[in-house]
This record gives sequence, C-alpha cells and structure tokens, in this order.
Amino acid sequence: MGNAVITRRLGLLVVLALCVVLLALVPKFPPYYVRVADSILIYIILAVGLNLVVGYAGLLDLGFIAFYAVGAYAYAFLASGQFDIHLPFIVILFIGAAVGALAGVLLGFPVLKLRGDYLAIVTLSFGEIIRIAINNADDLTNGPQGIAGLDRASLFGLPLTSPVHFYWLLLALAIMLCAGVYYMERSIVGKAWRALREDQDVVRGLGINTTTLKLLAFALSAAIGGAGGVIFGSFQRFVSPESFTFQESLLVVLIIIIGGVGNIVGVIAGAIVLVVLPEVLHFAAQYRLLIYGVVLVTVIVLRPGGLVSPRFNLGFIIRKVRTLWLSPSKT
Amino acid sequence: MALAVENVSKQFGSLVAIKNLSLSFDVGSIYSIIGPNGAGKSTIVNMIAGSYTVTSGTIRLGSTELSKLPKHRIARLGVARTYQNLRLFDGMTVLENLEVCFFPQSWVTLLGGAKRLRKAERLDICHACLARFHLSDVADVLAGDLPYGRQKMLELARAFVTEAPIVLLDEPAAGLNHTETKDMAAMIAGLKRQDRAIILVEHDMDLVMSISDRIDVLNYGELLCSGTPDMVRTNERVLEAYLGTTEELDDIRKLAQSRRAQGGLRSHAGIVRH
Repeated sequence: MGNAVITRRLGLLVVLALCVVLLALVPKFPPYYVRVADSILIYIILAVGLNLVVGYAGLLDLGFIAFYAVGAYAYAFLASGQFDIHLPFIVILFIGAAVGALAGVLLGFPVLKLRGDYLAIVTLSFGEIIRIAINNADDLTNGPQGIAGLDRASLFGLPLTSPVHFYWLLLALAIMLCAGVYYMERSIVGKAWRALREDQDVVRGLGINTTTLKLLAFALSAAIGGAGGVIFGSFQRFVSPESFTFQESLLVVLIIIIGGVGNIVGVIAGAIVLVVLPEVLHFAAQYRLLIYGVVLVTVIVLRPGGLVSPRFNLGFIIRKVRTLWLSPSKT
Repeated sequence: MALAVENVSKQFGSLVAIKNLSLSFDVGSIYSIIGPNGAGKSTIVNMIAGSYTVTSGTIRLGSTELSKLPKHRIARLGVARTYQNLRLFDGMTVLENLEVCFFPQSWVTLLGGAKRLRKAERLDICHACLARFHLSDVADVLAGDLPYGRQKMLELARAFVTEAPIVLLDEPAAGLNHTETKDMAAMIAGLKRQDRAIILVEHDMDLVMSISDRIDVLNYGELLCSGTPDMVRTNERVLEAYLGTTEELDDIRKLAQSRRAQGGLRSHAGIVRH
C-alpha cells in the first residue's frame, strides 16, 4: 500500500469524522439552534416521505400534511387526558404510521385513476377536508382550541422532553429513513416508480398494475407522514388544526422542488434552505415573506431542476467514497 | 398458443377504423399486417394489446378472452409490444429499461413470495438479452442518450426479454436508414421461434417481403387479401389499393398537369409531387 493511498484514506476518515462531530455538536448549541435543527430534521423526514410520491412515482400530492395531521392527532388521542388513554410513544409511532398508511390507501383508491392537475387538486382538497373535519369535530378534537397537555414521551425508558432528546431521535430516524428510501430507490419497485413517472401507459403494457404501484407509493409516503406527525405531537405536546394548513403541504412540496425532485440529497438541502431562510430573515421583519418569495423565484429561474443536480445523489456519493477508498492509486 | 381476432370492429366516433375483421395468428411464424395509411393496422395492434377497447367482436389468446381484460393483464398473459413512436424510459439506463419488465406481478411475490425472481437471475436474463440485441456495451447508458437506431433495438429487446409468446411490433423499421433496416430485418427473422408469434405492422416492403410467413393486407379496415409474400406481391387488389387503378392514375396525372399549367411556382414548392 503506497503512501498516497494511506493519505487518501486518512483524508476520507477526517471528512467523515468532521461530519459526525458537526452533527454531534449541534446539541451543544443554544436551545434556539437545536430547535431549528429539529425543525430541519422533521421537514427532511416529511419531504423524503412525500418525495416517494412526487419524486419517484411522479404524482403531485398537495395534501400530504393531512397524513401528518392524522399522526399528530393519533398521538393526541392515545397519549393525553383527552380520552384518558396513555400508550407508550413507540407503540403510537407504529400506530401513527399504520393509520397514516391506511388514510393513504383510502385516499389513493378513488383518486389514483386521475392524473396530473386533477390528482393535485383532489389531494389538495383531501388535505383541507381533514383539517376542516378536525376543526369541526369538537367532541373529539376540541376543534380549533386543539388538544393540550399531551404526555411526555419516552423511548425505552429514556425521556424525550427537551429539543436535544428529539434531535437525537429525529437524526436517527432521518438517517434510517434515508437509508431505507435509498434501498427502495434501487430496488425493482424504485425502478418501476421511475418508469411510471416517465410513461404510465408503457408501464401498463409491461404487465404492471399501475394502480398497485401508485398505491404502494401513496401508502409508504403516508406512513412516513403519519410517523412524522406522532413525533411532532410528542414534541409540541399540543396539537391544533392550524398546524396543518395548506401552506404546510406547500412547504413540503417546495422543499422537494427547490432541493431537487427525486433526489434524497436534494431534499435534505431543500429542507435546510427553506427552514433556515425564514429564521435568517428575522431581521427584516415585515419584508421577510417578500424576500423569501424572491429567493424562491430566483432559485427556480436559475436552477429549474432544483439546487442539487440529479446526478449528485446518494448513489453518486457512495460510489465516489468507495472508489476513493478502494482505488490503489490515482490514474 | 394461438391468437384469434374474431369479427372485430372498431369505431372512433363516426369513423369506422376496423370493419368486422377476423384474423388468426399461431406461434412459430412471423406475420405482417400492411396497408395504406389509415387502413387500421395500428388500431389492430392497439386492440390486441389492450390500449384500445373493441367496439364489437372478440380477441382470444388460447381460450382466454383478451378483449375484456385491462392492459396489464393482457401483457401478463404473454402479449408484448413495441410502439410506433419510441417510448423508452429515457431517464433510465438501458439495463434498467429491461429490468422493469420483471416487476413482481402480485402483492405476494412483491413481498418476497416463492415466485419472486432473484436480483441475480433478473440481471442474468437482462444481460443475456442485451447481448442478443448488441446492446451490452451501453448497458449503463441512459436510454434517451442512445442514437435512434439503437433506441429502436432497445425497444425490440424490451418486447422480447420476458419471452412473451405473442410479440407485436409496430413499425420497427420506421426512421431507420437502409443498413439499419437490413439489420433490423435480420434481427427479427432470427427471433422467430416455435413458441412465439411475431406480428409486424410495417411500411417497409423489403423488410416485410423478406421475413414474413404470411402477410395480411388491410384497406379501409377490411381484409383485402392474406397470403405468402409472393401471393400478395402479385395480387391485383393489393396493387390497386396501394397504387390506384390505371384510370385513377391517369386522372391524377391530368390534374397535376393542369395545376402545373396554372402556376409554375406551386410545382416548385413540391406540392404536386405528392
């Protein structure tokens, strides 16, 4: 083994270690920064989930936040004084994912025959229907007042109370999710989704039931949304319908579009930019939304494919690292 | 296994594209469907593959009635096809374009049931198929980046990779140059097998005449004649459908002459040539 190889491997290890240290240092920052980091991670989870539908299967879903709401209210119902049910956090996490998936399938069955704009409008309406239903079902949800005083969550005996705790939980979940989605993307299902995005009729001509394929994307994405909602509920310990407006759905879609459709790295970048941007713009107070809008438009005009090029994806990074590590010498 | 088109009609609004047509195709042969533009050739292919519904009549594969099934079910029964205009998955690699064909066909197999093809087996089949169609060197190239002729080849490969007993080829030589057309003809002829029926829709007469076992000629949605290339070549009704009768031809010539006399400019523009 030559010197060059050792240097290169050391360099790689240093970069890797830097990333780990950077992520591990976040909890040492003041609480405000940890909260922003939590927010980024939640949106990464949501956007990676929605990306299954929008980015891979190519279906524009504008009502994604409804699944998030379903998860959050699952936690509120099952871990509060509302019905005096107090289930453990981890159990509700799975229930939230399952209920989210169920809602996804229920929505999917009637609407997946629609395409493009029609699908977008129906999903948008679905999101609003869920929110308005929550707003009006006073007996169940306390309507617009919301449900407060949700249980403090704990995981395997460890309390989940401060933003730092949630940071670790969200970070672990986000990494697992990205790994899972990366695997999915490379599987035959992922390939079929990409084919579906390109030409639905041809996919049917290959003997693939496109409804099944779309339903699978919808269900998985909704399950992730539901699980995200459970975490959100346990984090805020308060849920009310106003957290689940159309703006939230739009924000998740924007993250995907700004970052790079169908690309996990892009989605992560998009979440960071769109969560951090409003925070940075606090100084500009009343001009905040204006600047926010200008930035978004500028990005779309300059980089219509998103901030991150489709070629710079997780697979590319992994290949790059592997070749750097393995190749005997630079040629 | 035999594919039978029985008394099939197809109407688009008031236009009757296919009139009470009956054809049958058996495995082991190459069939060509030819006819002037608008004769209903592609319509037949689209009805067999399930892209169009039939207005009346039935299409049967063995004892199964295809004309009542959704498109993906027809494909699963063993009807594969190519398209008149290239319809590859441009953003996916050549290899991936074939791999997609092996998507598990039921929830059970999808979740790891016994019939699920292992990834290695799937890749072996796809690589073997790429070699057969001279595409091995571009396995990892995006389909959309291939030159036109090789895209045509890939679409052919996609139709054959699953070993479907019925393969429908909608104008495989369209847009190819002379050499490429010859290669395509040789390729298709080499794909003839005892357990496979290949049905071609094609305008290139050299290709059709050189590889077909039977040619069905359609005109205005009806079967004009059906037989071996030699029989079709000499059939008067076919010549008439393609070239018109001698009287009609004279009429056209006269018309062209009078037009030319009217204005030299228009003939320059190439309008009379058609």
